[in-house]
Amino acid sequence: MAQALMRPLTSRDRMQETWIDGSPTERVVRDFIKPNDRLSSFERIQIYNQQYWWRLLASFAEDYKGLRAVLGPRKFDRLAVAYIEACGSQSWTMRNLGRQLEDFLGAHPELTAPHTALALDLARVEWARVIAFDGPEKPVAQPETIASIPADRLHLELQPYITLLELSHPVDDLLLKLKESEIETGAFSNAVASDHSARRIQRIRSRPSAEPVHLAVHRHQLSVYYKRLDREAYILLLALKDSMPLEEACAVAFAGSKNLPDADAARIQQWFATWMRLGWFAAAKRG
Amino acid sequence: MPANRFNAFTEYGIGIGLRVPHYQHILEEKPVVDWFEIISENYMIDAGRPLRVLDQILEQYRVVQHGVSMYFGNATRPNRDHLKKLKQLTKRTQTPWLSDHLCWGSVDGRYSHDLLPMPYTWEAVETTARNIREVQDFTEIPVAVENVSSYAEFHASEMTEWEFLSEVVERADCGILLDVNNIYVSSKNHGFDPYDYLDQVPHHRVAQIHIAGHTKFRRYILDTHDHPVLDPVWKMYAHAIGRVGRTATLLEWDDRIPSFDEVHREALKAKQFLPDARTIAA
Repeated sequence: MAQALMRPLTSRDRMQETWIDGSPTERVVRDFIKPNDRLSSFERIQIYNQQYWWRLLASFAEDYKGLRAVLGPRKFDRLAVAYIEACGSQSWTMRNLGRQLEDFLGAHPELTAPHTALALDLARVEWARVIAFDGPEKPVAQPETIASIPADRLHLELQPYITLLELSHPVDDLLLKLKESEIETGAFSNAVASDHSARRIQRIRSRPSAEPVHLAVHRHQLSVYYKRLDREAYILLLALKDSMPLEEACAVAFAGSKNLPDADAARIQQWFATWMRLGWFAAAKRG
Repeated sequence: MPANRFNAFTEYGIGIGLRVPHYQHILEEKPVVDWFEIISENYMIDAGRPLRVLDQILEQYRVVQHGVSMYFGNATRPNRDHLKKLKQLTKRTQTPWLSDHLCWGSVDGRYSHDLLPMPYTWEAVETTARNIREVQDFTEIPVAVENVSSYAEFHASEMTEWEFLSEVVERADCGILLDVNNIYVSSKNHGFDPYDYLDQVPHHRVAQIHIAGHTKFRRYILDTHDHPVLDPVWKMYAHAIGRVGRTATLLEWDDRIPSFDEVHREALKAKQFLPDARTIAA
């Protein structure tokens, strides 16, 4: 039964009439499902087949509104069906449905061409949003603890809900623009999955940035935010995330810097003031 | 006073499902509601807004957990990670009982996120009862198992659905969450008398009742939870209460959700059928 209900629907949202081995699906399902006086075995299983796809496609579209707006509804639906058919849901919660999307898109560029790079950026940011929304949160490191450990031995742990990304497109701007258009048009209000082909959506496009975009996707006061980072700040945070002591992480971030040491120090001080205010550090340990 | 061994919370009265569109109204207006039922999976998370809202709700209201993905009818044993998260949530909510469905939903690590019908076989009785016992033992909280609405029947079935339910709950020694609307929907889809079902389940195990709306199509009925409760379901509810006595009752409204007041008004219609809190089932 599982095989029958997880097979993709036809373009008319019906169950496929031909089984995997070429025999009629009706004959296959009749072996285990009873018909009744109103519905054939095929029609009874079709109800579950449709519910499966409509439910998962709706959840996927809800989590990847940006990707949908870039690809357009038809291309997005093709991608969604291909992804769900290949990877399915491997968790009891649909929250994790997109966990393998980035890898899948990387392996199937034809599904997003000619917007593959942008689609990959969006998939990464939109998955980071899922993590930021309800990812674990640890007690915030106290400033006194941080101050008490020398920089060459200070290991700072980043909150697990923060994702650091290097992107080729300004996806944060794009998603904010999309959110504004949603508010204006209500285009993404709750809708049942069965009407996805008819729903009008805002299309968005973006050119690649001249320079890589460094972004932290995080949570503050229960809301998800994007924070642009200077390149050095991004490297510094990534090094801290890799358990490097603070002094070494700063050295890696500013390797080859032509600024005066005082100028770099001032920038670091400013970043840390912000990061501490946002509660980004979960623990400070002496290494 | 308990109506039976599995229904120790007769004073719970009438509850409604806690749903996102009503969060703001509930937190701001603090309406008088007997209790809220939450979908456990929505709060089996590590942190973030849903848990904050739940904590605020818990400050004011009694909450009962209802699950949608334990899949008691799966051939495999319950997922350990799922169980741990569920137990963690029960400590937060102090839920007096837990419920989930008499169905299967995943195979070989692939999840359907649906409540799939089971073949009513003796083998499935054993597997399902084993899984329920395991959940009950692990969480250390009484479990009530809910009958689902279904659209397909298996040739392999060896008994009726109510016989299957009865055998499972006896072997698992657990309660029943009797969904009256689901019985009605399945009775129309499969052509049985819903009152046979109501009369033949073990009444002394009914711990909770669900009511809901459904949608009629030309050849079948779908359990859509997007309408008020229909008259035939109210009639069945009255009959069920006559059999099991005063029982915690919950209105489910999950799609095209109207205002909080409208949902609550609909739920409170159940009051006319509930006997006084002191009444005990015969």
